[in-house]
Amino acid sequence: MNIYQPQLATVTELTEETVDTRTLRLEFQDEALRESFAFHAGQFGEYSVFGAGESTFCIASSPTRTGYIECSFKAVGKVTASLREVNVGDTVGFRGPYGNWFPVDDWKGKDVVFIAGGIGLAPVRCVIWNVLDRRDEFGDVTIVYGARSVGDLVYKRELEEWAARSDVKIVTTVDPGGQTEGWTGEVGYVTPVVEATAPKAQNAVAVLCGPPIVVKLTLPVLGKLGFADEAIFTTLENRMKCGLGKCGRCNIGKVYVCKDGPVFTAAQLKELPAEF
Amino acid sequence: MSDARFISENDLRALAGELLAAGTEVIAPVAVDACASPSAMASSACRMPGAAPVDIEYRPLADAAELDLERGLPVLSLKQYFLPEHEALCRWHQRGTTIQVEAVPTTFAPRVVLAAKPCDSAALAVVDKVMNWDYEDELWNGRRAATTIINLACPVVDVSCFCTAVGSAPDDSKGADGLLMPVEGGYLFEATSAKGEAFAAAHAARFAAEAGGGADLRGRQAAEERAAARAKAAGNLEIDAASVRDWIDAHFEDPLLAALGVRCNACGACSSVCPTCHCFDIVDEEEGVGRGARRRCWDTCQSPTFTLHASGHNPRDNQNARYRQRINHKFAIYPLKFGEVLCTGCGRCTRVCHAGQDLVEILQAIDIAARRPDSAVAATPEPVTP
Repeated sequence: MNIYQPQLATVTELTEETVDTRTLRLEFQDEALRESFAFHAGQFGEYSVFGAGESTFCIASSPTRTGYIECSFKAVGKVTASLREVNVGDTVGFRGPYGNWFPVDDWKGKDVVFIAGGIGLAPVRCVIWNVLDRRDEFGDVTIVYGARSVGDLVYKRELEEWAARSDVKIVTTVDPGGQTEGWTGEVGYVTPVVEATAPKAQNAVAVLCGPPIVVKLTLPVLGKLGFADEAIFTTLENRMKCGLGKCGRCNIGKVYVCKDGPVFTAAQLKELPAEF
Repeated sequence: MSDARFISENDLRALAGELLAAGTEVIAPVAVDACASPSAMASSACRMPGAAPVDIEYRPLADAAELDLERGLPVLSLKQYFLPEHEALCRWHQRGTTIQVEAVPTTFAPRVVLAAKPCDSAALAVVDKVMNWDYEDELWNGRRAATTIINLACPVVDVSCFCTAVGSAPDDSKGADGLLMPVEGGYLFEATSAKGEAFAAAHAARFAAEAGGGADLRGRQAAEERAAARAKAAGNLEIDAASVRDWIDAHFEDPLLAALGVRCNACGACSSVCPTCHCFDIVDEEEGVGRGARRRCWDTCQSPTFTLHASGHNPRDNQNARYRQRINHKFAIYPLKFGEVLCTGCGRCTRVCHAGQDLVEILQAIDIAARRPDSAVAATPEPVTP
């Protein structure tokens, strides 16, 4: 079996997150692999529908939950459109886990601030559950999550679950005009909401993921709040094919996002040419 | 390096014949009719009375007589025999919701490449690095392991050749198992790897050990030709590859790098003919109802869709950015990551470009920029000769 051959996995659960975004739970068909499969928060995989091809997403479930993996995706391309058609019981392909990860173990004793925009919550959700499943190892947990509209918020049940916990501070927001009647969260873009929430930067790390514009605008705000570039982590998305450092597609300057990333600190981002 | 052996042209052809008779695939330069395709037939070169233009291509020999030893540069490099234009990575069969995945073989029958170009074998050794830097590409490695490559020293084809500027040479045996040097009456052969030694041993009867006055004469001939070819290649382009690398790395936004793609129209021919361009796409192809293959196909960073995200965002959204990537990857990114320039100076990209992009010219311009005294990375100034 060569490195490009996928493992087979069965779809055991699916959740329609929004009109165009869904979450799949996958269980490996190979029993030994199902038992032994391990990964770190932030790693990604190549998911495939046979006949449509492969697509790259992070693993959206936490490494603390074993026996399955989950992915969340928006149906925008050929493969994601096909993944949107699969049903419980169907077989899909998976290669991974690939890439580096969030150094969660280094954050013990620190406050963790999560900031996500839109579908950018998927990779962050993996880290959130990883931290919450080991809750007493960390300090305060703050989540700031925004989407274009109430309908575009993903993981709605989990947002409620996190909001109900006393050991998590969560702020949800929707872009102006995206609110509905009865919306009790914030109205405004993610960046000013982060600024208003003002999580303390001392002994804290921030995890940031979202559309390029959200990342670009939020980085300076975090700097203003006192977060050092080394304490801000993000995960980059670039088009990939192999995920193995061969196909030459995901380079940003001399960095192979699939091998040197996808997780980078803001300090590392500043070293890269502005081509992402 | 082993002692030189001599082989006559007749013996070399006979050796190819022996391999073929034993069922071994022999890949070698072959002269083919350049007017065979309908589009070529219509071209003026093919319509001239009595015209019979030929292309040189690496082909599996059907007969030893086809072996072309005239030393022209094949249209495509040897890359196609190690990273095929497209190949199956696995196959699937679907019945209902049950899918079975079938592996493709990663071991290959032994084969021999005769009269390979030194720039083409060197390219394989360069690409070996990316194919093995962490995950090992078994398909590439399987074909590499199964192949014995015997180079034929190159006379340097034309002004687009610049192998000596990027660390290779017309008589290089990098990536190969042996080297044939043309001399009076035949070739001197040097085995440059264990595989090359085994090749010579298996065909010992075809080789003559070199001794006495004849050997001295042929040795001198070979040395003279080697020196002349190296000088000819060096005359086309001389650069300091290390300062070119460092300058590109430090000058991503420099106007020189930011305007390179102005003539390029993204056809990607340069990547197809390049012996070191290895970027690929992976796509699924149906082969019938409920079955198909996942295939990898050559791709090119010059295509606008290469980095296009499904969201519509494109990190390299203009041709200048894409051409800069080509230069950056070959002369800075790869050397910094793997210690090798991702180019062996074959010059095919320049010859094939219908827009007139000339890599010799581009490298010269970058080299000049890197030598400028105000260049931020001019770590070692030009030595001043009194």
